[in-house]
Amino acid sequence: MIELFNNWFIVPFDYGFMQRAAVAGLALSLAAPPLGVFLMLRGMSLIGDAMAHAILPGVALGFLLAGFSLPVMSLGGILSGLLVAGLAGSVSQMTGHREDAAMASFFLISLAAGVMLVSLGGSSVDLTHVLFGSILAVNTTALLLIAAISSAIVLALALMFRALVVECLDPLFLRGQGVRHGLIHGLFLALVVLNLTAGFQTLGTLMAVGLMMLPATTARFWSKRLEGLMGIAVLWAMVASTGGLLLSYHLSLPSGPSIIMLAGIGYVFSALLGRYNSLRARLYRHATPLETGETA
Amino acid sequence: MRLRLKDLHLAQAGRTVLENLNGTFEEGAVTALVGANGAGKSTLIQAIMGELKPTGGAIECDVPKERRAWLPQQLALDLTFPMSVEELIMTGTWPSHGALLGYCGPHYRKARDVMARLGISHLAHRPLGELSGGQRQRALLGRTLMQEAELLLLDEPFANVDIETVEVLAKVLRDMANQGTTIIVVVHDLEQLARLADCVLVLAGGHGQWTTPQAILERHHGGDQRHHHAPILPFDLQNLS
Repeated sequence: MIELFNNWFIVPFDYGFMQRAAVAGLALSLAAPPLGVFLMLRGMSLIGDAMAHAILPGVALGFLLAGFSLPVMSLGGILSGLLVAGLAGSVSQMTGHREDAAMASFFLISLAAGVMLVSLGGSSVDLTHVLFGSILAVNTTALLLIAAISSAIVLALALMFRALVVECLDPLFLRGQGVRHGLIHGLFLALVVLNLTAGFQTLGTLMAVGLMMLPATTARFWSKRLEGLMGIAVLWAMVASTGGLLLSYHLSLPSGPSIIMLAGIGYVFSALLGRYNSLRARLYRHATPLETGETA
Repeated sequence: MRLRLKDLHLAQAGRTVLENLNGTFEEGAVTALVGANGAGKSTLIQAIMGELKPTGGAIECDVPKERRAWLPQQLALDLTFPMSVEELIMTGTWPSHGALLGYCGPHYRKARDVMARLGISHLAHRPLGELSGGQRQRALLGRTLMQEAELLLLDEPFANVDIETVEVLAKVLRDMANQGTTIIVVVHDLEQLARLADCVLVLAGGHGQWTTPQAILERHHGGDQRHHHAPILPFDLQNLS
């Protein structure tokens, strides 16, 4: 039994690439799910997907200019993500076009531009790498970059936490206090872009958003409190990223999809059997007795 | 003077909503803002909260931003947001306490006092989504009490709430006014107008006219407050004094 445990859970991490991949996954798991929880609470669950498309042209341009250099590609991704988010916001404000429609338009343009750029300068292998990532190829530079970005995101979230909460619940209350409309929203979107850029090396531009949203949507079935949502989402992201990595190692599966599939299985399980609003919770409703002390 | 409107002009989407609006909201006074839908009540509140820039004239306010509170219509809030009553009330400390510091003992004690005053102590840890309309409105007013508001704007605070809550809200608002809070409240119900307001700003046809609760009641019910349920709108500006 102990040997089985050892073979499944310990031995794989004797390899350096598995150690780096695990640390990268855990770092992303700390930063991405809280962002996902806020996206979900703001009714912007699909914005992460759109943003993932936005970083693609920058990553592709970085690849064309400097080859497979992660810092250059990441910088390109951050810049194009911020540019597209800013453009979508500006078009929406200047024309009265709804922001989601403006974002959808710009992100589709970005995706097309990104794929075109990669195709111009590289092979389909490169394209696959950019779109779906390769967590097992994370080197020390990539690991440092991921850890630094994740730390910065956690720190920034801690600093703007209350403002984000208040803005989600009652934006007018926040604006009434003189916090400029769009400031918190813009900073938050910038953090989403940063996180997706950190995640693209390991999970790919398209799947980086999975580690952000799936743990968050899963947590919704287990907690009604904000701190509970965040805690459960982070925990589940850590389990999914490490578990997915082990599955990928033992079953010779691609690592990114394994991680996201495991996170997705958690979501389906929670939707069926979770504590709140799940199918089980709906079928077996129960009521707590009246609080007798209140009426006295 | 806490708040003064000077020849104020306001517009929404290129259309003038209010023009030549003048008047002063005094310290400790409760002003009812009345008018038909689309008369410009929400536009005026937006402008006072600094959300909408006047197209002409000015709004002078000597209340610092962190002491200006806003009680939106309940439906404007995300009721599925995972937050308890106590947590909502504690956000009232945020404007003055800052965004970085944690809450401390006196904050929690004050929140407990506020909840007791509003009769919602037993709901402290209940999520907002599980509250009734009246309970939620009390919690929202609790936030403004926590904020120690000096200028309080309320948009239809008595809509969709039970009679007991109306009583509690009216009493708390009157107490706040007695302690010097300037209150502007959008009401559609003459009964609330009569019991709460010291003066009335009627908005109609793009203009505003100041009057008294008595003048409105006399105009619509011959001064008898007992036999009415809802105001007749729009008000006739010509016959008010």
